[in-house]
Amino acid sequence: MALPKRIIKETERLMAEPVKGISAVPHEDNLRYFDVTIEGPEQSPYEGGVFKLELFLPDDYPMTPPKIRFLTKIYHPNIDRLGRICLDVLKGNWSPALQIRTILLSIQALLGAPNPDDPLANDVAQKWKEDQNAAIETARQWTREHAKP
Amino acid sequence: MRVIIKEWNAVAAWRWDMPDDDVCGICRNPYDSTCSKCKYPGDECPLLLGECNHSFHMHCIISWLRQESSLEKCPMCRQPFKSKSQDPVTPAPRQTQTANATPTTAT
Repeated sequence: MALPKRIIKETERLMAEPVKGISAVPHEDNLRYFDVTIEGPEQSPYEGGVFKLELFLPDDYPMTPPKIRFLTKIYHPNIDRLGRICLDVLKGNWSPALQIRTILLSIQALLGAPNPDDPLANDVAQKWKEDQNAAIETARQWTREHAKP
Repeated sequence: MRVIIKEWNAVAAWRWDMPDDDVCGICRNPYDSTCSKCKYPGDECPLLLGECNHSFHMHCIISWLRQESSLEKCPMCRQPFKSKSQDPVTPAPRQTQTANATPTTAT
């Protein structure tokens, strides 16, 4: 199947005008599959870390959202052990007016604003609510250990 | 000198009455171009304007509204998407059913 123009345009723009702290590079043999990196936002426990993700555009994109997963281990109440992300715009709140670029920005924002009240990783969320300082320290430690630039 | 015009060909250009540089929010092709499936722009691949004043290639917005997950909302503003050009659908007057009670014969 030919690659829709929209995907070509999005890819070109991601290359020509990259978003600060975010990169997305398509695989040569599958232009729907991207290697993504997101820098941890400043003043978050993820600051200084570079997180790898994989992004896949399904056949019916943009009618359905991209599939995205963290490959780098991360301690975050809305990201589980398998790297799956709990984010409304990746599920029921997807709109075809959103793009790869805006979704990756949302994920970066999620790193800056963990939401333990809508958890995906229950153990992490509970820890976050019980002892936030300790949870943030664990997140910092994981960032140092696993998200080396 | 007299010039005799033997033949002439008129060339016309058309465009939708839309801001110049705007693209469809779904396929990201210009409004004057087609949706991602059509080949020829124009009447075969028209635009649809919503009550919320967001417009899309008709084919693009229809294929979005067909998705269950769209909840029939506009991709731009998430208001329920209704076509502006369409008249509100008025329910056809119901025909009163005449009860054709067939007499039951007691046996």
